[in-house]
Amino acid sequence: MYIVIMSRVAVVKYFGDFLGEKFSVSVYENMIKAGIGFVAGNLSLNEYFKQLFPGGAVGIKTNCLTPFNATPLNLTEAFVNILRENAGYDENDLIIWERTNHELKKAGYTLNAASTGVRCLGTDVATIGYDRTFLNSGKVNSMVSKILTRMIEHNVNIPILKDHSIAGMSAGLKNMYGAIHNPNKYHDNNCSPYAANINNLTPIRDKHRLTIIDAVKVQYDNGPGYAPHSIDSYNSLIISEDPVAADCVALEILNRIRARNGKKSLKELGREVKYLDEAEKLGLGQANIAKIEIGVLAIAEDGSISEGKLF
Amino acid sequence: MDRRKFMKFIGCGACAAMSSHSGLLPEFLGGVQNACAFDYTRELSSVEARYYKKLPEGGIECEICPRRCRITDLERGYCGSRENRGDTYYTLVYGLPCAVNIDPIEKKPFHHFYPGTSAFSLATAGCNVNCKCCQNWDISQSRPEQTENFSLPPKDIIDLCQQRKVPTIAYTYSEPVIFYEYMYDTAELGHKHGIKSVMISGGYINPEPLGELLKHLNAVKIDLKAIRETYYKDYVDGELKPVLDGLIQIKKSDVWLEIVYLVIPTLNDSDDEFTELARWIKNYLGVDVPIHLSRFYPQYLLKNLPPTPQTTLDRALSICRAEGLEYVYLGNIPSHKAESTYCPKCGEMLIERRGYRTSVSGMSKNKCKSCGKIIPGRFF
Ligand code: SF4
Repeated sequence: MYIVIMSRVAVVKYFGDFLGEKFSVSVYENMIKAGIGFVAGNLSLNEYFKQLFPGGAVGIKTNCLTPFNATPLNLTEAFVNILRENAGYDENDLIIWERTNHELKKAGYTLNAASTGVRCLGTDVATIGYDRTFLNSGKVNSMVSKILTRMIEHNVNIPILKDHSIAGMSAGLKNMYGAIHNPNKYHDNNCSPYAANINNLTPIRDKHRLTIIDAVKVQYDNGPGYAPHSIDSYNSLIISEDPVAADCVALEILNRIRARNGKKSLKELGREVKYLDEAEKLGLGQANIAKIEIGVLAIAEDGSISEGKLF
Repeated sequence: MDRRKFMKFIGCGACAAMSSHSGLLPEFLGGVQNACAFDYTRELSSVEARYYKKLPEGGIECEICPRRCRITDLERGYCGSRENRGDTYYTLVYGLPCAVNIDPIEKKPFHHFYPGTSAFSLATAGCNVNCKCCQNWDISQSRPEQTENFSLPPKDIIDLCQQRKVPTIAYTYSEPVIFYEYMYDTAELGHKHGIKSVMISGGYINPEPLGELLKHLNAVKIDLKAIRETYYKDYVDGELKPVLDGLIQIKKSDVWLEIVYLVIPTLNDSDDEFTELARWIKNYLGVDVPIHLSRFYPQYLLKNLPPTPQTTLDRALSICRAEGLEYVYLGNIPSHKAESTYCPKCGEMLIERRGYRTSVSGMSKNKCKSCGKIIPGRFF
């Protein structure tokens, strides 16, 4: 199924003039296209998207737990635009989704549970809910959102990178807690192996296509709730087909941002991220950073791309 | 906001959801519909939780149950019914039951607590463990926004009990420990109005909140799920020790106690386990604490196992009786003679039970009519 080397991760850093709090839609579009260009290897953007999304509805899973530190609307919009323009997707086949309508709304998203247009909705919409079949993976037994099991064929995970008081880090794998009905049951032992098990639930694993982690403003401490005094700019997106490799690179970045802000490492604090190794054992991806091909791309305001450095 | 009168829901989805937890819902609705109308709501409560402490490094620690969840802003505890908002901890289910019914007290089961009476029974979403055999998993393993909830504050419960002449409130179906504040306030108010309260629980609660709660409870039924830690670890996601400690604490109080042990093929049904169970009860609680050995039916995450064979239950019954336990019952086997109560001294039948039909014919107040032995429990 996978058409490129799985463990290839693009880190796309924006170096243009940046005065505001948010990146514009067009900046995000340029960043996504640059990152996909690396991940896609020899394929053109259009060819790549057509192979990755050969038809059927695409879900876009955000992270809107905290309204002030949620997946930016502009990032989601940029990805929707690219899917429509480069993969020829019809707006009716795109669904931005979350656990609840309330979370999406508070993060600034306009809900649309109608039958036309890009849909934007939570699993808690009365007619949706969770599939009443318990799915099992390792220590996890959960019902999964019908948005994932019944409404979409492909899922793109668009979380934000942040510190997490229990899991250590919240990025791609942790964001899929929002797809199950009982996430509160799976926080023991720094969410390990639970975060891995959740991502190994059949519909989550089989429908995963791409991870795009927003690491523009990284909350490096006191997460997952919003803590404005613990935010540092990194101005990047992390993009990969491999959900474990994407998180592995995100963890490296988070640890280094913590260090430059004088914070102890997650390991020293007893919040080491252990679920990545568990995910690798389940065959979900690559957790060894030495084995991941990382492409750091510096992107300028005019969209020109040059080689960059992680730090 | 989505608020409608509960009455408008009769015959609709919410009732269907509720009736899956209780077979007696139509009877309840039939009786209550002229007397009351309470609201269905999609809103969660924001009542500050009790028994939690703020942590110096930020976040809170919940002290209700031995799990002692540490929770940062906007996160919930394991039970899914409590949430940290800016380091104030809230219960989300106060006054919001998702299952409400009037049941016979025998259904809880209580066999020595005002036999033949009824109990206003209620539960909210959520549970602090995750038993693989849970029969109410659709509410116990859900978060409150995933269930159909009714707005039913403590005062309305008391009013309903008085209107319907129901003597007892039962906190049951899911796990009352996780709606501690709601249960506590209702029980306290009930006390003031002469309405009794009983808790049906897994007993996974810390000593201090339990001690306070016992002041307002009249009876407790504990599901002792096994007598081995390994079972609690593998099939409950909890620990045995705090449950045993809680049983001793309850027994030492003035509150009436009964125990249920669900016998599950291959998991907790060996002779050794039945012997250990009986001996522990005898040594730490006394031979006069009733125990209900209950038949398992496959459900939730244990659908691979068969129902408990009758022979296993008979074996368990014999072992417990041979160890000296005086009130050993079999449950979930309608019309078995071990549903009824017999005098341990003279052997006369005291309370006859057929399903949920109860006849207290062999007792005068709390004594055996035949030999005069005092039968422990609460009787009229
Ligand atoms: S009551 Fe709930 S939040 Fe509190 S310790 Fe128990 S499981 Fe955790």
